[in-house]
Amino acid sequence: MNSLPMLPAIIVDMAGSFIIILLSFLSLRYAWLLIRKQPENFLWGFLFYFCLTLVCFSVSRAVGHLLKQILLISGNQGQWHVLAPYSGGFNTLLMISLAAVSIYYHKGIEGYHAIQQKARSLRDANAQLEVSADKLLKLNLNLEGIVERRTKKLSASEKKFRNFFINSKDMVYFCDSANKLVTMNNSGMEMLGYSMEDEPKLQLQDIFCNREDLDNYLETIIAVGFVEDLEVEFIRADGTVIYVLLSATAIYDDKREFIACEGIAKDLTRVRTMMEQLASSEKMASVGQMAAGVAHEINTPLGVILGYSQLMMDDFTPESEEGQSLQVIERQAKACRKIVADLLKFSRQSESARENILLNEVMEDVLAVTEHSLNMDHIHIHRDLDKNMPAIVGDAEKLRQVFINFINNAHHAMEEQGGGEIFLSCHYEEETNRVVATIRDTGHGIPGDVLAKIFDPFFTTKSVGKGTGLGLSVSYGIIQEHGGVIEVESPVTIKGDNIAGTAFHVKLPVALRETASVTNT
Amino acid sequence: MNRIKNTLRILPLLLLLTPAVFPGNAWAVQSHGAPEGLYVHQLAHVFYTAAMCYLFWGIRKSGFRPRGWRYLQAFCVFMVLWNVVAFTGHSLAAIVDSAHFTGGETGYLSSRLLGPLSSVKFLYYFTKLDHLFSVPALFFLYLGMKNIYRSSCEEEEE
Repeated sequence: MNSLPMLPAIIVDMAGSFIIILLSFLSLRYAWLLIRKQPENFLWGFLFYFCLTLVCFSVSRAVGHLLKQILLISGNQGQWHVLAPYSGGFNTLLMISLAAVSIYYHKGIEGYHAIQQKARSLRDANAQLEVSADKLLKLNLNLEGIVERRTKKLSASEKKFRNFFINSKDMVYFCDSANKLVTMNNSGMEMLGYSMEDEPKLQLQDIFCNREDLDNYLETIIAVGFVEDLEVEFIRADGTVIYVLLSATAIYDDKREFIACEGIAKDLTRVRTMMEQLASSEKMASVGQMAAGVAHEINTPLGVILGYSQLMMDDFTPESEEGQSLQVIERQAKACRKIVADLLKFSRQSESARENILLNEVMEDVLAVTEHSLNMDHIHIHRDLDKNMPAIVGDAEKLRQVFINFINNAHHAMEEQGGGEIFLSCHYEEETNRVVATIRDTGHGIPGDVLAKIFDPFFTTKSVGKGTGLGLSVSYGIIQEHGGVIEVESPVTIKGDNIAGTAFHVKLPVALRETASVTNT
Repeated sequence: MNRIKNTLRILPLLLLLTPAVFPGNAWAVQSHGAPEGLYVHQLAHVFYTAAMCYLFWGIRKSGFRPRGWRYLQAFCVFMVLWNVVAFTGHSLAAIVDSAHFTGGETGYLSSRLLGPLSSVKFLYYFTKLDHLFSVPALFFLYLGMKNIYRSSCEEEEE
């Protein structure tokens, strides 16, 4: 082979130049798409300028090569010799530019990495912030829920205990270490008869009736930490005494030092009265049984004494000394028989009638007998008898005896003071289905220490010979026989005011409707 | 007085301009001979080669995952090869001048490289086929850009 044809080189040169232009523009297109999609991305910016410079270089070089080949093929070698330095110069310049752009890659990448790093850090920080915000939000929501739930519970609990405190029928109180009553519920204030305005001024010393009880309470609560079921007496604002059952607990601070105490007191005055009444009833019942036995045993020899004394009276003239003595024996024996009869009535051993009666009529019968003598002693009767009264079942005679006893007692209580008033009232108490008859006088009243004994047999405050002490006992027995009760008030409380005198309330059960209707017809 | 003062002010300037009144040989502009253009062009090839090597190393160091960046590395390799071929071609052009070519009967297209064919002439002939390197280089650039663009789109979709 002596020579090599240049045609393949010419063809490769021309085709290659054309392909290079095409490929460089296609590359630039993708670089353009990248930079348009993410203009802020530095890397895409680098690739775009790199491709742009490459396009310039490729176009410059390829066009130069094509021009050369065309000019040489067309035989214009002279023209190519003129253009060749320019083409070469441009190629050199653009090659250097391309190299310069490439060198910036490293710095660009560094910047890109730095930006990416920061962006990643920011993304991570944002993600963490989002997670934290989410957690905070959940926590916040939960916290709100928790707070709301606990507040509700607390509120319900507070309401429950406040209601317990307010609505308690017993006294609930808190007092500080200086024995000052800091808080007391309404029931406590009512129990003591104080108004709520008095609460700040009250001290334990003001409500304890006995100093010894207070000392005992304080010593126990400080020593033991609590008192349980302590029976003490409290003094009310009006001076009356109430009987309470007291339980209290000490309150300590963080240093275990006594700072206050809280307590509950239950008013047992009513219970105590009932217990006393019960005891009295039992005593009366036993006395009644004893009286009945004694009366029964005495009745027979008394009848014999009376019979023999009457027989002997036939043997002596009434004017004789023996006759006089026998009259005394007869009189005293009859008196004894009356006492025995009364004792039998008290113990309910005597026979009783059972019929429908109207209490108003009984009262009127009694007044018809007694009113004249009462008026003689300047004692005036005031009637307040309800006309629509239901009937009761009982022995009218015995009930008359009861009311005569009450009126006689009232009479005796007022005759020394030269007169007075007797108030008679009779009404129907619908709640208890009972008829209530009240006899109230304006006498000196009954002292507190004898009030519990007035129904005892043979108990009397009258002078010797004036009374046997069986009147109220017999009345008590009769009313009990009728299924009723007797209540006594002395002094009498009317509309909050205490009035001197005594009031007897006789409460009797109403007869069954059928029976009552029969009586009415 | 003012005239004297103005004259005194201009005097230093006049002293500076005095040498201009007596001109000699001046070498203000340096002349550039014919080989300078070739040297600059060859240095540009060296610079371009270094830049491509640097870009290859930079891409490798960056550790980008998409395949497009590997295509760009291939572009760098082919561009380096092309630069070597082009540099060699330009260097051999000084040796293998127009005297070694014949125009042929049908003109430029039928021109031939005349013998005796030495290794230098074969190498020169080979360097004339430099597009065998530049075209693949540009093809890899095209593939690289296309792949980078698609990866970017996929990332965005994700």
